[in-house]
This record gives sequence, structure tokens and C-alpha cells, in this order.
Amino acid sequence: MDRDKLSVLAISDSGFIFDPVTGHSYTANATGLRIFELLKEDKSEDDIKSVLMEEFETTEDEVSVDVDDFIENLKKYFLI
Amino acid sequence: MKIVVAVSGINAVDNPGPGTGICKALKESDLDVRTIGLAYDAMEPGVYMDNIIDKSYIMPYPSGSREAFIERIKHIHSVEKIDIIISALDAELPIYMDIEPVLTEMGIKMLIPTKEMFKTRDKLRLKELAETIGVKAPEYRSCTSIRDLHDSTEEVGFPCMVKGPFYEAFKANNIGEAEGYFHKIAMAWGYPIIVQKFITGDEYDVVGCGDGKGNDIGVFAIRKMTLTKLGKVWNAVSVKNDRLIEATKKVVSGLSWRGGFEFEVLVESKTQDIYVLEINPRFPAWVYFAAGCGINLPERMVKLLLNKEYETHSNYDSGKLMIRFTNEMIKDIKDFEQISTTGET
Repeated sequence: MDRDKLSVLAISDSGFIFDPVTGHSYTANATGLRIFELLKEDKSEDDIKSVLMEEFETTEDEVSVDVDDFIENLKKYFLI
Repeated sequence: MKIVVAVSGINAVDNPGPGTGICKALKESDLDVRTIGLAYDAMEPGVYMDNIIDKSYIMPYPSGSREAFIERIKHIHSVEKIDIIISALDAELPIYMDIEPVLTEMGIKMLIPTKEMFKTRDKLRLKELAETIGVKAPEYRSCTSIRDLHDSTEEVGFPCMVKGPFYEAFKANNIGEAEGYFHKIAMAWGYPIIVQKFITGDEYDVVGCGDGKGNDIGVFAIRKMTLTKLGKVWNAVSVKNDRLIEATKKVVSGLSWRGGFEFEVLVESKTQDIYVLEINPRFPAWVYFAAGCGINLPERMVKLLLNKEYETHSNYDSGKLMIRFTNEMIKDIKDFEQISTTGET
């Protein structure tokens, strides 16, 4: 997974994400925003899932679906 | 003493010319400029925009007599002492390229492409150009008859883009639509009509200006966010895309481009490949967007022509939005009478 692009994205606390290279903008919810932060910290997918399970007090299955979907979307939009 | 700059394309209508944006950029620059509008019709909105255009004159159509065109400029020059003309319409560029030596003798300066440069960026030579600058060109065919159109659409497939030689482009989903657009465009702009493969992706534009020696004097890139039915950009956001800027600089250096230009490309969604769609040989209608973000290309062009010092950087912020809007002015019928009867404001 190429995470270099994440460093150029402008991400606001409200979850608004702007890609200055493509001019596209996106909105992420609180979970998405947290996944972004953890990806930028270079955490592995497993680490991200563990952190989210703890912070959002949820099951591994639910977290896995969220993280996998979110990362798939990031790839689709060429953000990673 | 004021610098007198005459600007064409002051038709700020639903298919807007760049003239009013150029004048606005000049008025906001640090130059002391008197702007002269060169209109082709008494109803061109720029004629009435006296906040940015100091005086307007009606010009004879560029497709008419060369002598009449020169005579009109001579008359305007005798009154206004024009320093520079900024031509902003594709259809009039050939006559300006032709008469530039005459204008130079009169003391009027222009920064426009040569005939060879103008031909190189022709829509029918896109593939050649794309290879030179290291990007792709969508597959296309040139048509001058309905038979050509049928053959071309069979080869290119549907959906496809049906485009005019100067302006207008429509997406056709079947041969019925393609024929309709073919006739519509031919009636308005003549031949050839271009049938181009449709590629799914995002449209980007770069405005820039070349000094004629292979250097650019600034470039500014945008992603088109919303378009009008005529395919004109309505809202846009500034972007910093290195691949796009690099391709643009190759256009300028490869052609030793002289003058303003608009580099239109499409980035394919699936592959992120850059496809060149068009190179317009003049500033685009949204040129003021660049000026508003610190890349005032009309100002730099004027300074270059007058041998004044000018900036060449392309340092601007991404994430700036251009919001175009409609507006109304209330003028007196006497203003219309003045321009209609005397040919000037």
C-alpha cells in the first residue's frame, strides 16, 4: 500500500478531505477520519483494527468490514 | 502615461469570450492601463462594462476584408494610440497573425502564435502533438460528410464526442444523436467535424503564456467542477498537479509557444493517464481565476511586450474555487444608440 499520497491531502477536523493534486474532495465520518490518522501514522491494517475496536468499543467483525471497505474506497479514488 | 491595451472577445455571454476577464486582470494589476474593447456586436456585454473597459469599438468581422480590418484598427489607433492588442478569439487569430507585421509598423505589439504553431495545435494534429509532449490523445476521425460520420462512428464506437473545428462538443450515444450534432455544429462553425472516442475521466485545464523562446511566464491549473451545456467551465478548483504542469511546460518548450494558451486535458479514471483534448491558442474565459490567485498572465504579457520586468513564477494555492455567476446591468437605450450608430462608446 502506497501511503505517500496521504501526506499531501488536506484533512480538516470536520472530516472534509481535499486532494490538491486531483482537485477532488471527500467527506469522511469519525471512523473514516480516525482510519486516515492511523494510516498516516504508518500503522498496519491489523493495528488499525485493534485501535478502533478499543476506541469505538466494537467487535472485530464490524471493525474489519469498516476498515476493509474504507481502504478499498481509498484505493478506488487513487488516494493510496 | 497610461498603457493602452485593446482586447477582443468581450462577449461575456453563456459561451463567454476571455476579453472581460483579461480587462479585469489588467485593471487589478499594478499597471496604469486604459482598456479598449474590440467588439463584433453592439450587444456584447463588455461594451457596457465601463468599470473594466474604458471605451469600446465595433470591429468588422475577421472573415471579411483584410483591408477593412486594418483600416478599422488604424482609425482606433489614431484616436487611442494603442500600445498592445490582446487577441482573445480563435476565429480572429489567423487575421492577426497575417497583419502582425503591419501592426508592428504602426507601433502596436502583440504576443500571438506563429502560423506554424497555430497549425501544430490543430485538433486534427493532436496525436502528433501528444507524442511530442509525452501524453496520450483520444482516438479521433475527421469528417466532412454524413458518410464520413457513419464510417468514423463505426470505427470509434459509441458513446463518442462530436466536435466542431473551433467551438462546441457534444456526447453522442447513437448515430441519430451524432447526425443531429454533426448538422448543428456544421451550420454554426463549418467543417471539418471531429468524431472523438469518449473517455471517462475528469477534465483539467491549464492556462499559461509562452514567451516565444521556449519559456513559460507562468502557468495555472484547474479541475473543472461544473460545466455548462456548451461544455464551458462554470465552477472550478485550482490544483497543483506535477504531471499536468510538466506536460504543459513541454508544450511551451516543444513548440516555443508565443502568447496565451489553454491546455485542455482529460485524466482517465481507470488508468490516470493524461489525454490531451485541445490546445486553445489564446487565454481562456476563466483567465481571471489565475490572476485572482496571483498568476496575472495578462499583466505579465503586457510587461513582457513593453520590456518591463515581470514575474514568471507559478506559485499559487491549490483549493481555491472559481464561482461564476450571472449578473444584470441596467443601462440606457442611449448607450445602445451610441454604439449602434457610431460604432464606438
